[in-house]
Amino acid sequence: MSMTLLEATGLRRHYQVRAGRGPFGAKAVLRAVDGVSLSLKPGRTLGLVGESGCGKSTTGKLVLGFIPPTAGTVRYRGTDMPPAGTPAWRALRPRMQMVYQDPLGALDRRLPVGVQIMEPLAIHGAKSPAEQRDRAAGVMAAVGLQMHQFDRYPHELSGGQRQRVVLARALMTEPDLLVCDEPISALDVSIQAQVVNLLLDLQDQMGIAYLFISHDLKVVRQVSHEVAVMYLGRIVEQGEAEDLFARPLHPYTRALVSAIPVLGPRRERLLLQGDPPNPVDVPSGCSFHTRCPFATAACRAETPALRTLPDGRQVACHRVEEPALQVAA
Amino acid sequence: MAVRDALPAPLPTSGLSVIARRIARLPFAVSLATLWLALMVVVALGADLLLPYSITAFDLKARLSPPLFFGGTFAHPLGTDELGRDVLSRLIMSIRMSLLIALFGTLIAATLGTLLGILAAHFRRFVETLILMAIDFQASMPFMIIALSVLAFFGNSLPLFIGLMGFHSWERYARITRGLTLAANEQGYASAVRQLGAGPGRIYGRHVLPNIASTLIVSMTLTFPEIILLESGLSFLGLGVQPPLTSLGNMVGYGREYITRAPWIMLAPATVIVLTTLSISLLGDWVRDKLDPTLR
Amino acid sequence: MLLFTASRALRAALTILFVMTFAFVVLRLSGDPALLIMSVDAPPEAIKAFREAWGLERPIWEQYLSYIGHAFTGDFGKSMRDGRPAIDLVMERVPATLAITLPALALKVGLGIPAGVYAALHRNSFADRMTMAVSVAGFTMPSFVLALLLVLLFSVNLGWLPASGADSPTYAILPIITLGASGAAIMARFTRSAMLEVLGQPYIRAASAKGVEWRRVISHHALPNAAIPTVTIIGFMIGSLVAGAVVVESVFAWPGIGRLLVSAVANRDLAVVQAILMVIATWMVLANFTVDMAYGWLDPRVRGTAAAH
Ligand SMILES: Nc1ncnc2c1ncn2[C@@H]1O[C@H](COP(=O)(O)OP(=O)(O)OP(=O)(O)O)[C@@H](O)[C@H]1O
Ligand SMILES: [Mg+2]
Repeated sequence: MSMTLLEATGLRRHYQVRAGRGPFGAKAVLRAVDGVSLSLKPGRTLGLVGESGCGKSTTGKLVLGFIPPTAGTVRYRGTDMPPAGTPAWRALRPRMQMVYQDPLGALDRRLPVGVQIMEPLAIHGAKSPAEQRDRAAGVMAAVGLQMHQFDRYPHELSGGQRQRVVLARALMTEPDLLVCDEPISALDVSIQAQVVNLLLDLQDQMGIAYLFISHDLKVVRQVSHEVAVMYLGRIVEQGEAEDLFARPLHPYTRALVSAIPVLGPRRERLLLQGDPPNPVDVPSGCSFHTRCPFATAACRAETPALRTLPDGRQVACHRVEEPALQVAA
Repeated sequence: MAVRDALPAPLPTSGLSVIARRIARLPFAVSLATLWLALMVVVALGADLLLPYSITAFDLKARLSPPLFFGGTFAHPLGTDELGRDVLSRLIMSIRMSLLIALFGTLIAATLGTLLGILAAHFRRFVETLILMAIDFQASMPFMIIALSVLAFFGNSLPLFIGLMGFHSWERYARITRGLTLAANEQGYASAVRQLGAGPGRIYGRHVLPNIASTLIVSMTLTFPEIILLESGLSFLGLGVQPPLTSLGNMVGYGREYITRAPWIMLAPATVIVLTTLSISLLGDWVRDKLDPTLR
Repeated sequence: MLLFTASRALRAALTILFVMTFAFVVLRLSGDPALLIMSVDAPPEAIKAFREAWGLERPIWEQYLSYIGHAFTGDFGKSMRDGRPAIDLVMERVPATLAITLPALALKVGLGIPAGVYAALHRNSFADRMTMAVSVAGFTMPSFVLALLLVLLFSVNLGWLPASGADSPTYAILPIITLGASGAAIMARFTRSAMLEVLGQPYIRAASAKGVEWRRVISHHALPNAAIPTVTIIGFMIGSLVAGAVVVESVFAWPGIGRLLVSAVANRDLAVVQAILMVIATWMVLANFTVDMAYGWLDPRVRGTAAAH
């Protein structure tokens, strides 16, 4: 039985922002996340991709309950996420953790990394210092850190080592869900591959589920079982990873995929026109219509819902079934 | 960020030789300042041992005797006052008193301000607004005036007076702490620890406070001399430390009466005040430059 | 701009209200206001009358409102020393305080700003180092020490100037110098760093690189920009004129508000203390308000954005 680990339904997160100047300037609503639903099974990876500012990190924080949603629910193993900071919420932390883009910022520079790796156990109690240390040694070995690095300070480690420290800290409590928010984009290309492989190995060994946020589509393709594509706070397409990359349906996904550099003969390229719109002032209808080469009057008027096609792919596009738009896979 | 960058890694090797080498590399003025402050600390700590006479001992035969080298004797190296009390002994007790008040005042201000700053940053909303209003109020009135009105309303006693000195510049710590705590909470290590499920005690006690401590300590080097000046000003006016206790400001105030006949009574404590505040400022500036690029 | 003015005026009014509240709270915390203000040996009928006039039997928030009402009309009760309205006692001391603090302010500005500008333009020169050394002394020397040193030199040793009292204009000279000297030191230091900051800006370097005459760069670009932070400190100095005069007036027995405050505190003449507190607060708030206005006028950027803070 593959029970659902995490289920997010209709998540919205809106921010009040000031559009005009001065204290009485016009208020506007920024819809950072605007109706996102996703679900994650144990040991599986959901990749989340999209342009900068489309709401990926916000979704990650909502899913872990760091910030309260404006609307929608998050359920972990069938129970609602308690409000952030409450004892119930804190008690859930060992089960779900975050891996950050900037490992140096996520570590306390004043403490040796070993102490920080043990911190989750110290917080959630129940283990003696000796046991904490043993566990830390085990986890450090698992992420490829050596015991002599236990007493080092964060600034004495390399970027890749720091990211391993953050990972080790997240793994101390044997979580079953990790949200990885661009875990490798701050790393050197050579180290990126190591960390990605490490994440894959850990998933094999421990059966952790990942919500893997990135705008590097090649990596997402490599690690994900399923991929969701976000545009301006909504999921516009979601499907099985290999299939989605091989046969993108939504024009936005097609543009993203065609922008992946590949070896060999160049494919048909779909270039995005213009910049992403101001998130405070989202276009009417399909929010992608301002940049979509296939947009029609209907696209400008009506917001397409995320529909499930017969083959299981989910797409939010009015014209996706029109033969004229189909591309050879 | 810069604050954390500036944190020195733990001393690689310790031991007296390292400390001696560090001192040798100090600028000349800073070494002098350090020496003077060390002397003051020794005097304050060892006052009871160093005291040549009791501060209330009269020597009526040697009234208004001048200091050594100005016609005085070794019996009273800094001379005596109108009642024949030894100026050096009174000076030693005054130094202890003034430094103690400044020390306690600084610690109270730092503790209070830091606590309020953390509360403001933790609770935000109403609590923060209230604390910010108090900060604004404190900053908008000269503290001398606030202090004088409180003394008028409550009368004077040493504990009250020390507590009052502790209200001087708490708002500086509250501002700094709030700012740095907000920054830490917004992103970075503090939010990472919170997201691990840590409670406020651990977040602030084990992570935020140690990280902002260097900035707070640097601010203390500003507060300490300010409190010395404030205390001595009020004591000079007769509104601070009350006889029979004595502080540097008291001595100057008392010596003012004899400025024509016995200027040394007033000059000795005045010199100590100026040298001490000057030394702390010099040392503080130097430490600030070394430690904390954000305050430069 | 109108919005800016309004928001600043609101802030000013709030601060005054805050000071009144502070006085009210402290007064309540310290005991029975009737006894404190009327003095202990006042006849019982008088105390009863006072209680009724101030509404001390009514609920606390009503008392607060009536207190604020009284305060706004300048009614702080009568001085327990000579029975005159406290506010009158305070107001008649204002001219004396202004007579030394305004010339001192002129001294601070007239000496401090040129010295600071000169030091900044001749950075690391002997004059610069001297200015900075003197200004450090100005920071660390308490005003009563400076005052006594001046007395020692000019009155005791040289016998040129009177040491205390207010019998003729010459009596004002030492207080003015004392007040002005340390302020000038602070001013010089501040102006110097403001100037250095501006001189390091790209637009100054650009202007001089374009071949604009250096004098013109200084007078048309550097000085106006350095003036902005300097105005703040001048405003602060104006605001704290009276507060700064407390010690100096006492040393020189100058009959201003500061000395009145010290003796009122010593005698616990609470009505007078409250009146002075309000006068000083009002003065501070007006000074800050004026500076804010000057700021908005000097720096057009402030008008739009400052209100948003
Ligand atoms: N606290 C906040 N207040 C106001 N707006 C916010 C806040 N947090 C995020 N936003 C806005 O919400 C939108 C989505 O932000 P988010 O960080 O989720 O983007 P992202 O997809 O992670 O981008 P990136 O790839 O650059 O990390 C952005 O427009 C951002 O400006
Ligand atoms: Mg992000």
